[in-house]
Amino acid sequence: MASVVQIENLRKEFGKVRALDGVSFEIQEGEWIAIMGPSGSGKTTLINILGGLDTPTSGRALVDGVDVGRLDEDGLTRFRAEKIGFVFQQFHLVSYLTALENVMLAQYFHSTTDESEARQALDRVGLGDRIEHLPAQLSGGEQQRVAVARALINHPKLVLADEPTGNLDEANEKIVLDLLRDLHADGRTILMVTHAASIGSLADRRIDFSHGHLVPQPASLSSHSR
Amino acid sequence: MFWRVVFQLLRGSRARLTVAILALVSGAAVISGLLNLDFGVEYQLTQQFRTLGANVVIAPTATPSVPESTLTNSALMDENAIMPQVKQVATANVSFAPFAYVIAQVGGTQVVAVGTWLDQLHNLNPTWKMDGQWISSRAAASQCLVGRNAAKQLHLTTGDSLVLHYLARTSQCKISGIIDSGAVDDNQVFLSLDSLQALADLPGKMSVVQLSVNGTPSRIGATVDRLRSALPQLQVHPIREVTEAEGALLSRIRLLIISMVILILVLTALCVLATMAALAMERRADVGLMKALGGSIARIVTFFVAEVGLLGAVGGLVGAVLGVGLSYWMGLRVFGTAVAPQWQIFPITIILMTLVAMAGAWPLRMLGKVKPAIILRGE
Repeated sequence: MASVVQIENLRKEFGKVRALDGVSFEIQEGEWIAIMGPSGSGKTTLINILGGLDTPTSGRALVDGVDVGRLDEDGLTRFRAEKIGFVFQQFHLVSYLTALENVMLAQYFHSTTDESEARQALDRVGLGDRIEHLPAQLSGGEQQRVAVARALINHPKLVLADEPTGNLDEANEKIVLDLLRDLHADGRTILMVTHAASIGSLADRRIDFSHGHLVPQPASLSSHSR
Repeated sequence: MFWRVVFQLLRGSRARLTVAILALVSGAAVISGLLNLDFGVEYQLTQQFRTLGANVVIAPTATPSVPESTLTNSALMDENAIMPQVKQVATANVSFAPFAYVIAQVGGTQVVAVGTWLDQLHNLNPTWKMDGQWISSRAAASQCLVGRNAAKQLHLTTGDSLVLHYLARTSQCKISGIIDSGAVDDNQVFLSLDSLQALADLPGKMSVVQLSVNGTPSRIGATVDRLRSALPQLQVHPIREVTEAEGALLSRIRLLIISMVILILVLTALCVLATMAALAMERRADVGLMKALGGSIARIVTFFVAEVGLLGAVGGLVGAVLGVGLSYWMGLRVFGTAVAPQWQIFPITIILMTLVAMAGAWPLRMLGKVKPAIILRGE
């Protein structure tokens, strides 16, 4: 199986603070990885670098063979549009666009829009009857499902989910996790940040962070069966 | 998708954008009104000044422009040689007539007798008041007009018979009307040029030609130049008091209007700028998200540029309609006649307002510096 993500001795410094300090690991295509660790351990910094939202201070972060640290502003923009699908804890939908338009916006930035494909994506997350609703007219769980549909619409190589169920109640959490499970079954590569061990246990593999370092895992904890 | 986003942007921010569109409509209304007035004022002023009478005089060299002395051969022009050339140069907007003068006697009282084309007298002097009838026949030998003061002095009224004596000759006519010009013309009597030439025994002779050239000062100047070329042996000169006053007034009004337009453009841009600065702050999160989704800053900013451009164009169009109505009303108040809509006002106002809206959208440039990672963290 080919590596989708290769991280080699990755460092990120914010002034005197080292958010990531020599991190190295790989993610294979189709893997579902749970990144865990306390606040300030460097999880979100890692997600931001892999998503092309930030650049490393040193080291390499390759996604689908692209060294993110070597891309200029335009290159990062294209990288985000073509390789990455984001799912955020706060959903981050454009408030004045409908569910359908939020999905189509990602298509627009990628290449061209295809309304029928966007409708299918919303159908797939169970929102076929809510496509003309604005985010304010949707529940938190529904908004996160729109975000999932948006993340997948351009068939990204890597789905980055930062606490995707952090703002959801139990019922909606289950719906979103079921969606992620389906995506994983379809062969998507998912990197998910979570605080909850129960959610982390759903992933193929768990990577723990502490103070910018990887925490070595006992062999029995580093891998779960689906 | 592009226009879907733009329209949703407009819908989503309608409360805040209402302030900007009100500023743009108000600015456009005043600007288009002033510009319409500026285009129309030249025509209106020209019409107003033409009512003051002739503005160009053709006279023999070294003679007064409006001689009031007795006719003598040395100070005269040949009507048959000059008038065809004047007619050739004069366009449809030029009224003109030959004039000849003698000091005749009426019952022992001296009076200035003026021979002219009687049918052109009203065209040359549209503000003269008439008690009686204007004469429609150019060479009506049996009819004449009398100035108000002359009629009073000679105890004449409309319908009376007037007998003029000059040297040993006599001319008789019936008074069609009494003229009130408010000027020296009120002391004169007006008869056909043929009648005066017969009275003076100088057939085919005239003293001056008066012209009323309808148009701007530059157009009057062009007519004068053409007449000078056609009649090099004669003096052709504009009556400067009229043409210069017209030119000066036009320049002052135009300067005032342009100053006002610039001031309003700046004020409108400032108002839009204040609104857009607040909007830019509100939209930082959306821009950060769009960047995270792979939107280039050029594509994202295009949404906002289209949004303000659309606002400017719509504000310009609505304002232009209101402004033309405003200038119609102002025309009625200032000139007593409506200023007709000038259709070029619409594209000019729309373009100006679009540019002003774009200038006012300057704060949106700060959105280019938004860092998506920071925005998505909620900072």
